[in-house]
Amino acid sequence: MNPQTLVAVNVGLPAIAALASLVLNDKRMRIGIVSLTSIVLIVSSILLYVGGGVEFSPAPVYGTAVLALDFALLAYFLYVGYRARSPQVLGLTLLQLLPVAYFEFIVKGAHVESVLVVDGLSTLLTLIINIVGSVVLIYGLSYMDEHEHHLHLESSRQGRFFFYMILLLGAMNGLVYSNSLIWLYFFWEVTTLCCYELIRHDGTEEAERNAVTALWMGLVGGVGFVAAMFVGYNAVHSIALTELMAAPQSQLLLIGFALMALAAFTKSAQFPFHSWLLGAMVAPTPVSALLHSSTMVNAGVYMLLRIAPAIQGASLTYVIALGGAVTFVVTSFLAIRQSVSKRVLAYSTIGNLGLIIMCIGLNTGLSYSAALTLLFFHSVAKGLLFMGAGVVENKIGSRSIEDWEGLLGRMPLTSMVMIIGMVSMFLPPFGMLIGKWVAVDAVASTPLLIGLPMVVMVALGSAATTFYYAKWLGFLTVLPNSLEKRKKESLEAPYKLALYTLLGLNILVSIGAALVVDDVVNPILAATYPQAVTTPGYAIDLGFTTFPVWPLWAAVLAVMLVGASVARSKGGALSPPYLGGENVADKPVTFMTTADSEVAAEVSGVYLVSQIDEGMIDRLAVGAGILIMTLLFLVVII
Amino acid sequence: MDAASTIISLVLALATPLMGGVLAGVDRKLTARMQERVGPPLLQPFYDVIKLWAKKPMIASPLQPVLAFGYLGFALVAAGIVTFRQDLLLVLFVTALADICLTVAALSAKSPYSYLGARREFLSMLSYEPVMLLAYVAVFMVTGSFMVQGVLDYGKPLLLVLPAALVALQLVLIVEMKKSPFDVSGSGHAHQELVRGVYTELSGYTMALVEVGHWAKVATTLMVLSLFWAPNPVIGAAVGLTMFFISLVVDNSYPRLTWQRMLKTTWALGFTLIVLNIAALAAGGVI
Repeated sequence: MNPQTLVAVNVGLPAIAALASLVLNDKRMRIGIVSLTSIVLIVSSILLYVGGGVEFSPAPVYGTAVLALDFALLAYFLYVGYRARSPQVLGLTLLQLLPVAYFEFIVKGAHVESVLVVDGLSTLLTLIINIVGSVVLIYGLSYMDEHEHHLHLESSRQGRFFFYMILLLGAMNGLVYSNSLIWLYFFWEVTTLCCYELIRHDGTEEAERNAVTALWMGLVGGVGFVAAMFVGYNAVHSIALTELMAAPQSQLLLIGFALMALAAFTKSAQFPFHSWLLGAMVAPTPVSALLHSSTMVNAGVYMLLRIAPAIQGASLTYVIALGGAVTFVVTSFLAIRQSVSKRVLAYSTIGNLGLIIMCIGLNTGLSYSAALTLLFFHSVAKGLLFMGAGVVENKIGSRSIEDWEGLLGRMPLTSMVMIIGMVSMFLPPFGMLIGKWVAVDAVASTPLLIGLPMVVMVALGSAATTFYYAKWLGFLTVLPNSLEKRKKESLEAPYKLALYTLLGLNILVSIGAALVVDDVVNPILAATYPQAVTTPGYAIDLGFTTFPVWPLWAAVLAVMLVGASVARSKGGALSPPYLGGENVADKPVTFMTTADSEVAAEVSGVYLVSQIDEGMIDRLAVGAGILIMTLLFLVVII
Repeated sequence: MDAASTIISLVLALATPLMGGVLAGVDRKLTARMQERVGPPLLQPFYDVIKLWAKKPMIASPLQPVLAFGYLGFALVAAGIVTFRQDLLLVLFVTALADICLTVAALSAKSPYSYLGARREFLSMLSYEPVMLLAYVAVFMVTGSFMVQGVLDYGKPLLLVLPAALVALQLVLIVEMKKSPFDVSGSGHAHQELVRGVYTELSGYTMALVEVGHWAKVATTLMVLSLFWAPNPVIGAAVGLTMFFISLVVDNSYPRLTWQRMLKTTWALGFTLIVLNIAALAAGGVI
């Protein structure tokens, strides 16, 4: 199919489907709309990926429409700022509205040759957005029914919900195709809008408050974008990203890129802008699943991936790397401290994005490969984890990990999904670990002065990651009563479809990691970086070392199989745990104490509460973040 | 890789439990001598394991058998990565996989003591993994490769250029062997406040599997340490065995520290030593 048509489908269809969902607020219609949209989006993302790149400009009327909608959007943000009594939102919106108006009506804009440019990076992002995003939409069908059932709503608000969910996918697609900064800025702002509206969906006081926080932080990014547009235009008299990228590096241009990096940090929730993503978890879980995996936070990473080749060699790029590395190591330790499932995952997202951003900042062929690999695998694994966590939350009515004790016995299906999802975040032979391995290699190959501090941060962050995931997955396996029989678990069809699809995908892409590198990562690199990773015999080869993917998978499967057969042949009677020999007969985890009274032993998770002072670390993180953001500009100016 | 060296690598990997078992026997003998006891026969650890294997199977959770085997299995895979001269980071990651099997096996039984041990085992991993990773990065900076093969090809003794990094790895070895002062998660012998820590709920054949897995792990780490004198395998082995012996002496000289002290010691001392080592090499123009 014509790539131009596919681009139109990827951006236009979600917009239309979103409106349809809003207008036809009916369960059956919704299932139809979501299923159809998902199928078309998945197919068109694959076709676009296969079909390859294209550069073109849509008819001028679309440009006018984008502009009109942009002003409408800013006007709405002004209204929101007024309604929420938020000086930040008001101020930041005005800081965009006035310059954009000046630019469009006084300067009269600038002609852009190709408004939309679709290349390897855009098609990769489209794959992630459309496939993982669609799965989350389908998941949302079950989730929102249960969610609204719990809330006892009189009339369903799902029409509104899916409006913003589907719209977000379209806006993300538009964002990764835009070459004109005006268009890019527009889609950027639409994602901010969707994010704001989705976070406040449930309408509680907390939801409203967190949504406003997310909004003003998003608007900081918007201001950065507008400023970048001005600076860029002054530097090269063009607002086409391709022209900014092609121009020789100059101080003015680098300030423009620094502004874009600032915007990227807001979207990707890096220090000091991390709090909005933590607050976003008040929203229904499909929102988190979407924001954390395939959309929103990836917008920031995408921006950095986009501009990275243009800032190669500048000190700016290492400041970006530093920002990512600091975020990675600090959030990895903060994640240990969390006892709310979605908060652990949120910190994990912020941290992993930090790792990705560090890799982008190191700006070598190897580190860029690591960034793309991590981005790809993270999207799939994190989508899966959030969806699993949402199912658990709905079924047990709690977000606390403390209530996950022995979940494997109560919800074996979902628990297995969660366990495999967690393992895929930090252990071999899964894709995330391969990405992390390339990342360590990349950072170790960086000049010492930059590389060494970052190696230390990566080492510490990775160890902390192991800690918080391992303790969590272990807690799932605690059998509250070793003698109890396992229960059967039944899941609604959309849940099953969504969870198993992403689980299967997660495993398949990990097994085929070499293909991912060959077909997805390397073509993107080809344009700007020397190829750093080859795949002889489906292994990941860096020249100085090799990751044997398939032998490792074979070894792991062999161990599991032999282990299972040993377990079967030896077996063993279940016996109560050791309680100093004072076990009460027939009560498995109960011991006898003075005067024959019986006490049940309890266990709980480990959060290092007294060692990790979250409040203080958070304040330091904000301080460090502001410092790094200042540094972004200082290194360019000085 | 030709057939002969493949077979050698395979045999060597599968022999790690035997090497580790003999070393465990040496450990018990030497420890006994340091405490002015006679000590058991050299092969006592093997007799113990054989007896454990034959005991009536009892488990505290249905997941334990497969996880106990996982611990041994992944320890062997890690050994294989070394003997097939593959990536050192991979050894670290696969060893982590083995450790996760052990800790989850401990957590899967709702038992206060194994719970305590598992938590502390996580903290042990937190204290030695990053130091080990940084040490391997130092090896990479010197040799230009993360592969065991790369260290062999380097041709010169690493010990001469990375002595401080090796001292850091000595700390790592003590934590990994679960020796005092860092035997916080459970040690070779019972401690009344820990019972058997992370091993508490294992018995019979699951305990045997974990015991053999631990031997394989220790032997693998010693193999990696012996790479610090790669040009001459005999001196290399001597390096590994010396560090093993130092661990035993330390074990018998120091009482157990808290996990906080363990973390601070391994991080502060380990990182400082390795960073200083790298800095010195950079200043001297070696890397």
